[in-house]
Amino acid sequence: MKFDVLIIGGGLAGMTAATKLQSEGLRCAVVAEGLSLHNVSRREFCAAGGTLLAGDKVVSGRFSGDRLISVRTEKLGDVDLEADNYILATGKYFSGGLAADMDRLYEPLFGLDVEYDEDRSKWFDASFSAPQKFLEFGVKVQDGRALKDGVQIVNLYPAGEILAGISSAQGDARESVINSAIEAAAAIGRK
Amino acid sequence: MPANNEFDVIIIGGGITGAGTARDCAMRGLKVLLVERRDIATGASGRNHGLLHSGARYAVKDSESAEECIKENKILRRIAAHCVEDTGGLFITLPEDADSGYGFDYQAKFLEACNNAGIEARAISPREAIQMEPSVNPRLIGAVVVPDGSVDPFRLTCANVTDAVLHGAKVLLYTEFVDFIKEADTIVGVKLLDTRTGQTSEYRAPVTVNAAGIWGHGIAAKAGVQVGMYPAKGALLVFGHRVNNVVINRCRKSADGDILVPGDSVTIIGTTSTKVPFEECDNMEVTPDEVRLLLREGCALCPALAHTRILRAYAGVRPLVASDDDPTGRSISRGIVCLDHETRDGVKGFVTITGGKLMTYRLMAEQATDLVCRKLGVNKACSTAQTPLPGSMDGRIENVSKCFEGKPSAGQKGAAGRQGDLVTRIRFDSDADRQLVCECENVTLAEIKYAVRELGVSNLEDLRRRTRVGMGTCQGTLCIRKAAKALAEALGKPELAEKLAADYLNERWKGMRAVGWGDTLREMEFMQRVYKFEKPYSYDEV
Repeated sequence: MKFDVLIIGGGLAGMTAATKLQSEGLRCAVVAEGLSLHNVSRREFCAAGGTLLAGDKVVSGRFSGDRLISVRTEKLGDVDLEADNYILATGKYFSGGLAADMDRLYEPLFGLDVEYDEDRSKWFDASFSAPQKFLEFGVKVQDGRALKDGVQIVNLYPAGEILAGISSAQGDARESVINSAIEAAAAIGRK
Repeated sequence: MPANNEFDVIIIGGGITGAGTARDCAMRGLKVLLVERRDIATGASGRNHGLLHSGARYAVKDSESAEECIKENKILRRIAAHCVEDTGGLFITLPEDADSGYGFDYQAKFLEACNNAGIEARAISPREAIQMEPSVNPRLIGAVVVPDGSVDPFRLTCANVTDAVLHGAKVLLYTEFVDFIKEADTIVGVKLLDTRTGQTSEYRAPVTVNAAGIWGHGIAAKAGVQVGMYPAKGALLVFGHRVNNVVINRCRKSADGDILVPGDSVTIIGTTSTKVPFEECDNMEVTPDEVRLLLREGCALCPALAHTRILRAYAGVRPLVASDDDPTGRSISRGIVCLDHETRDGVKGFVTITGGKLMTYRLMAEQATDLVCRKLGVNKACSTAQTPLPGSMDGRIENVSKCFEGKPSAGQKGAAGRQGDLVTRIRFDSDADRQLVCECENVTLAEIKYAVRELGVSNLEDLRRRTRVGMGTCQGTLCIRKAAKALAEALGKPELAEKLAADYLNERWKGMRAVGWGDTLREMEFMQRVYKFEKPYSYDEV
């Protein structure tokens, strides 16, 4: 199956970008786990002819050089979903966009480069109510595109809370989330 | 000096030792004052596994401790039934233990030592062990069943304090010891500071008992005597649910992280042992190395721990005491240390009770009280081994549940489990009172009101120690504002709610910071999101 844009994550960022791109005439697909699905934009997206893979989850990606070629999902098994461009909007820790073990912070889906403080003692402030550094971490980007092992992946655009500096756990971040999604969509639209 | 400031004995320290000593003294008819600078069980008493030792752990190396343990184990099952859960325990042998000299030869030696100490221990096959406790490491090559259990140390301390009060003792919480009042070579009283009002006061008694755990070192120094104490930090991890139902120990020489204890809704692995400076005792942080070690050893007992969410980490300080006859301090005693400073140092009217362990608190209290009674010329025998604690009067929880009309609710069952027969004092009058505040631990508004009314609660940490509010899998994330509001209203100070919740969250946050990765990190983001979206808990705004 081939799309113009495949959006991973159906939260505020993913659905904002998907709705915008679909309404501009691009063929979009959203892979979204049920819980995070943004309902209002979902109706709009489907009405505009978008493909929604609800309750499914991207589990792997095939890269070639500086491009993401295709992804596979939990439910579709060995079916390769291909797209010209991808938006990664899987959020931060709670939604599984970022993860950490005892030794490092990482992006669990594709192993993208992440921006974080290696000194774990700096991650958390002793006061619960103070700003927390761990909420500032995110995937590295260059010209709006993700990096993997230092190489810019030219067709993979992270958006929303997976980006460094955006977190709705630090206060109302809806505006930054929406802006980052619109920027990613605009960059793809310009191509 | 007004007469109401005069007592027969003043006990410093509201941990399990002080609480037990206060109970014993009060039961022998003495007029008792118990002083605690914070809340009950805030030191080592509340910062351990909550293991009801069978004594098996000490059987090979220290038969005296083992015998003490099994004796007290049997007593606690009787007098503190509502604090104890009869989980049973396993001592498992892994293939790598055999390689390091702890194989079947050691197991045989262990069995013999247990039976010599009076601990019923019996070897079972690995297959039987897995049937008994499915979470146990399936690679085990041998297992021994022992009468271990779990004990809620907060509940146990609270029950002792409650009984002391029922026998006429006066208890001052959040009251700090400042100095002794001395007359020549005799301690005749203490100067105290109420940390909430800032007021100082003087109390007098012919005998003062130092039962302040590791902090007893400084208290003894104020009396001009030296007790060679060494703070030994022990770190522990709490897992997000009850992974095992049977205590799992490693059958080898005691080492770090080799005991896994199920307690209420969680499982606890511990512990480490590190000497720390006295300055650190008041505020201990668990280090990454300690966490790594505990996880590694924990997974050897129970592999499922590798992918179980860690709720939090915490640490306590054991008050280790160097033997008096060893000036280097290398020879550390783990046994009970009861010092008469009159015969030892020429300071009259002063006793230190320390060393020992949670398991032997009652025996420690008995020894200290015997000494106090000798000093006061009181001739009355100890009866704490026979007399059940408040909460355990009716024995088993099943009987307690019968006091409810109809089928007890989850909140009533939870309360009966925690408060034992005292649950009859909780007033489940209205629908609001029956509502759950903490859903992880099934704590109702009625139980919170009861704790405020009768158990001396002034903040959410105090409430947690008496009701387990916020101790479950959500760590207060979903209930603490409700609990704070309920507590503030029960205290008659509704304006305190925000501050109570903020303090509680900081304390939970501390335990989570040490284990901030994996699912715990997800929980931490969630917690921040729940409470900070509109930043209601910034101190600047409160």
